[in-house]
Amino acid sequence: MKKRYSIATILVIAGMVFGLGGIASADEPIIIKVGLPTVLSGPAAPWGQIGMEPYLTWIELFNKEGFKVGGTRYNFKLITVDDKNTPEGGAAAAKQLIYGDKVKFLAGHWSWNFPAVSAVANQAKVIFLTRTGNEAVPGGAYDPKKMPYVVFANPSHDQFISDCFALVEAFPNYKRLGILDCAIGKGPGWDYVEVALKKAGVKYTIEWFPFGTQDFTPYITRFKEAGVDVVYVAGWVGESMAFAKQRWEMGYKDMKVGHSGPFVSVGMYNAVCGQDAAQGFIGQYWANWDFKKTTVNPKYVKMCQDVMKIVSDKQGQPFAYTGWIGWLPSHLLILAQAMQKAGTVEDPDAIMQAIRGGTFDSTTGKWTMSGAKTYGSPVVFGCPSALSKIQGDKEVYLSEHPMKPLP
Amino acid sequence: MPPVGIWIDGLIQSCTYMTMAFGMVLVFSILGILNWAHGQFYMLGAFVFYYAVTAAGIPFPVSLLISGVLVGGLGILVEKFIIERVNIPSAQGALYVTVATIALIFFFEGAASMIFGMQDKGLAMVLPGVLDLGSFSVSYQKIAVVIFTLVIMITMYIVLNHTKVGLAIRAAAQEPDAASLHGINVERLSLLVMGIGCALAAMAGSIMAPVFIINPFIGGIPMIMSLLAIVIGGLGSLTGAIVGGLILGFLNSVVAYHLSYFSEVVLFVLVIIILLVRPQGLFGASRK
Repeated sequence: MKKRYSIATILVIAGMVFGLGGIASADEPIIIKVGLPTVLSGPAAPWGQIGMEPYLTWIELFNKEGFKVGGTRYNFKLITVDDKNTPEGGAAAAKQLIYGDKVKFLAGHWSWNFPAVSAVANQAKVIFLTRTGNEAVPGGAYDPKKMPYVVFANPSHDQFISDCFALVEAFPNYKRLGILDCAIGKGPGWDYVEVALKKAGVKYTIEWFPFGTQDFTPYITRFKEAGVDVVYVAGWVGESMAFAKQRWEMGYKDMKVGHSGPFVSVGMYNAVCGQDAAQGFIGQYWANWDFKKTTVNPKYVKMCQDVMKIVSDKQGQPFAYTGWIGWLPSHLLILAQAMQKAGTVEDPDAIMQAIRGGTFDSTTGKWTMSGAKTYGSPVVFGCPSALSKIQGDKEVYLSEHPMKPLP
Repeated sequence: MPPVGIWIDGLIQSCTYMTMAFGMVLVFSILGILNWAHGQFYMLGAFVFYYAVTAAGIPFPVSLLISGVLVGGLGILVEKFIIERVNIPSAQGALYVTVATIALIFFFEGAASMIFGMQDKGLAMVLPGVLDLGSFSVSYQKIAVVIFTLVIMITMYIVLNHTKVGLAIRAAAQEPDAASLHGINVERLSLLVMGIGCALAAMAGSIMAPVFIINPFIGGIPMIMSLLAIVIGGLGSLTGAIVGGLILGFLNSVVAYHLSYFSEVVLFVLVIIILLVRPQGLFGASRK
């Protein structure tokens, strides 16, 4: 009995020593793991890969201060798994991150495999910050009751609509807006986009191309015959470049072309399209230091500029991709502030309660979660919907139509 | 009636499918196999061409030949060390070859992703500019595609009909055993034909590289379309490959102009109808 008592005493003392050790280094932040299922292989991989370096650099800068909840300091740690840009890959990546790596949140996600990742995240009660996927619209697969842990931190459909408005504002004398997407992107999301464009009186024509198309001559011809003079492609970088090049070669030099994605590298557009055909090419622009209508916290602007400089130094060449600013950093700021508001880092329900309808200060401005009527839950974060165009070998600000809060 | 631009576009597409299909049929005629990785040789050709032009600064026509020679050589290695070994003389042989060449698709795409990266590349600087014809214009790159295809087809015609090697290929395609008895080394001929087939795919990829984009996944669609061209023209018929490619290219462009993204559905339905009416294809030998 005495011996057992001694062992217990030793264990208690040891526990105290180790515990005290923990307390002694209380300044050491507690790490919160965040999972990022993203595409690192296949045709869309450049989009997944290009964000990695700035993401990690931004987290490193953010972690210097970290964030406090109940007096305890926390840091983020990013864990990435290739989701192969497929539903199966997305589900497998989410399972690996949640059950294997024990992440507490999924953020930075942008792939179209949203429903597959969402199913895994919701089952595990893991908060999942993503974009509005193809199914994530009223009448589609998104159901706030079935997916209570999904946050549309990047409202792609609503942003696409705002992008179209920004285009119309940039070219007020436009004749007709052409919208081009791959047939595999057809879904209820497009009904939603069309309703919004019609309501706003935007004149438009939509064309769909089969997956794998490289020759856009038939679609360019159809657009031209419909009187389209500005074409906006839904994502699809390679296809957009091919389109821009081919419309130039066909002699339709005044037909403006852009895509709903940031420029991965202006050099790539010049190489693929040719310098002349690439001029004026339009893309999304997340350079918060250039925003004209959206106010961004100067602290975050500086952080983003610092990241651009650090990554440029690391890579030994100017790093100009701004797309990363709108994704993971913005998502992590929403999470950190929601945890602070909820006063917990553990309870997903309390954190979600803080997110719904909450106002958050992010790298892309301060926005209030909205969309209670539209999406059934106020989980849609706003965005600046800023656009840029290629000028020489640089991208320059074109226009901006900040997203209005959704009803 | 579609505008002139659509017909020109159809011609360009036809050129690619003709060259690709011709190589596939040539291989099928001698080796009796369908090389499912034919599209990946197209992709590798585009990459070799890209680096020959951009990194080595080799003039465009020479780069085209280098691409054909290098990728053709790779095709010979694939035939020697993979296809020849798995193509055992049994009912399973064809299945093994199918599995092996499908595996090569993933191997080549994965290897290309690792070696060349996955970011789209372009060669807009090769033959820049357009020929302005009033209401429409055609890029010099597209004109080069048509000239290249004509040169290739004429060359192949001469090789097959007016050279000893061509005679041997035709003999081995018709009666391999008889050709063997007449002293033709069919094994060596198989290597040569595989090399020529892959070189044609590589050169098609090279000539199309400035027109479209270059990445490790560009081979899939040309391969499928070439297969359709072969089915339309008749499996095993070189004339069929040319005519099939020609029909398919124009159909693809004209149908897409009229029906947008339904074009693929219409194309496949047409192929099914052709198969129902004439299972051997337009130029294939009928079954007795």
